[in-house]
Amino acid sequence: MNVINELLDKFPKGIVLTGEESTRPFECDGLSVYRQKPLAVVLPETVEQIKQVLKICKVHNTPVVTRGAGTGLAGGAMPLSESIVLGLSKLNQVKSIDAEKQLAVVEPGVRNVAISEAVAHYGLYYAPDPSSQIACSIGGNVAENSGGVHCLKYGLTVHNVEAVKILTIDGEELILSRDDQGLGLLALMNGSEGLLGVIVEITVKLTQMPKLARVVMAGFDKVADCANSVADIIKAGIIPAGLEMMDSFAIEAAEGFAQVGYPLEAQALLLCELDGSESEVQAELEVVLKVLSGASSIKVSNNEKERLDLWKGRKSAFPAVGRLSPDYYCMDGTIPRRHLADMLEKINELSKKYQLRVANVFHAGDGNLHPLILYDANIPGELERTEEFGTEILRLSVDMGGSITGEHGVGVEKLDAMCHQFNAKELEIFHQIKSVFDPQSLLNPGKAIPELHRCAELGAMHVHHGQLPHPELERF
Amino acid sequence: MSTQILKLQAEIKSSNGLHITSNWLNYSGVQEYFPEELVITVKAGTSMAEICAVLAKNDQALPFYIEDETQSIGAAYANGAQDLSDSVLGVQIIDGSGELLNFGGQVMKNVAGYDVARMLVGSQGKLAVVTQISFKVMPNYYVGKLKRRAKTTQRSALREEIESRLKTVFDPKGIFN
Repeated sequence: MNVINELLDKFPKGIVLTGEESTRPFECDGLSVYRQKPLAVVLPETVEQIKQVLKICKVHNTPVVTRGAGTGLAGGAMPLSESIVLGLSKLNQVKSIDAEKQLAVVEPGVRNVAISEAVAHYGLYYAPDPSSQIACSIGGNVAENSGGVHCLKYGLTVHNVEAVKILTIDGEELILSRDDQGLGLLALMNGSEGLLGVIVEITVKLTQMPKLARVVMAGFDKVADCANSVADIIKAGIIPAGLEMMDSFAIEAAEGFAQVGYPLEAQALLLCELDGSESEVQAELEVVLKVLSGASSIKVSNNEKERLDLWKGRKSAFPAVGRLSPDYYCMDGTIPRRHLADMLEKINELSKKYQLRVANVFHAGDGNLHPLILYDANIPGELERTEEFGTEILRLSVDMGGSITGEHGVGVEKLDAMCHQFNAKELEIFHQIKSVFDPQSLLNPGKAIPELHRCAELGAMHVHHGQLPHPELERF
Repeated sequence: MSTQILKLQAEIKSSNGLHITSNWLNYSGVQEYFPEELVITVKAGTSMAEICAVLAKNDQALPFYIEDETQSIGAAYANGAQDLSDSVLGVQIIDGSGELLNFGGQVMKNVAGYDVARMLVGSQGKLAVVTQISFKVMPNYYVGKLKRRAKTTQRSALREEIESRLKTVFDPKGIFN
């Protein structure tokens, strides 16, 4: 019996989808330029069923691509032609809440925002807030180590997970907790992009809702002044709950979409959220306003509606840019903050070189950049030019001492860029770590870590006369 | 590159029976510190007292529970000090083949590749010689009071097996104790 028949045979109707129409919605994740239909989509309802799926796939040597809500931006959940998709959306229960210990045990398919909703009446919430939080699942968040706008103060997913239960490819349960002795396997599982195990249960940390949160919006005539103010705020000893920056094109797009009163004449915009008790917020506000005294415009939210309105523009920046262009490509590099102004200038130069417009939206506090490159996939060659542009930005990020991805993951999208960030020995260690957990390479194979020959071929293309690109940059 | 590191790499490369621990390196000092970036990079032999003193000048601190300030940061890392992993941004190691490798870096967010920098926290020096570690630091005010928690001692057979195979990945010759 082949793998599909065995799966169909094993499970009740509605769990295994095989038809063209029913599998098509699973052919891509949030990165829709990469598409592939799988052999079948399996939507189990229990952990026991997941174990059976893994056992059947192992026997048939069939790759398994685990999928949460499919909102990922790097093709991590894109199926492979010979794989099944293991969709965990039906495991969507909050299993228990311990308000005193500030912990909740949840299934992987629970949506990020649904955790906060389930614990709101205790005055608690789940802190990491990726922009897709109304749709994305906590299992996917752990697999990607997702971030959001509040990471600087409250941490990434890895900082807010207390324990996970995973299934190995053999269907064996492994519980990994923060308080384990030995290697940091819990941290290893965060951001492992579905290559090491299937996450079937997560214990998340809950955070006390702040009494008050206020946003300062500052407009700047010069991009560099805005970028420098980010460092100045932190130098002044303040860790804002959120610290975001947008360039003039992104301001224009967001304002056109959300109409919340962003200063259209500004070259750059800073959004700085302060939270805590009333006195804490007041004290931080005084310091921040002093630091931002050189801004061309300042607005401070006076109530919750104003605060949410100011965020609305930022949070809708992606769809807003989407209105201006048939397609856009979102990058995710991170750099040390001191290079922010320099990076923006270089992106501008590249924008001219490639003749493609860019809107810049940054998690400035973390040095995490989201340049959105605008293109039209219907114009022949424009997608390729866009990807080349994106690759240059990522290489610059690495050369400045940063990373090719801060929170979106590598998936299929950034495999080439990985060759720039890691040398062959380091990549080899990654491959060997995978084979410790998954010797047959059945869990999301081919994603996240490039094959060494791929890098060798790429290296032959990119290193000219032994010269490093961007020799003017300081290296770390 | 430091001659100490080159020397150790050469020794590891040529050795089959050498048993070493990170301690003998006697490799200490603050490499880089960017207060406005909230980042410090230290050599593994640096005492936590020294690091705390450097950070204190900018009213900053390591945001994890420190049991013994006289210990080196490398020892705290190897022992898996409570919540230390949360502040780790990057690590430089020499693996059991004598290769100098870097995982993570100095940036706050980095999800490229597996999180080896945090995985090696608690590795007791059995997988690699840790030479240098980068941490996220925080202003004192935000660190607050840190309390000690107990670690669990239960370890499943599966976990033991995974850890022993991970050791082989980093230390194929079995030279680290």
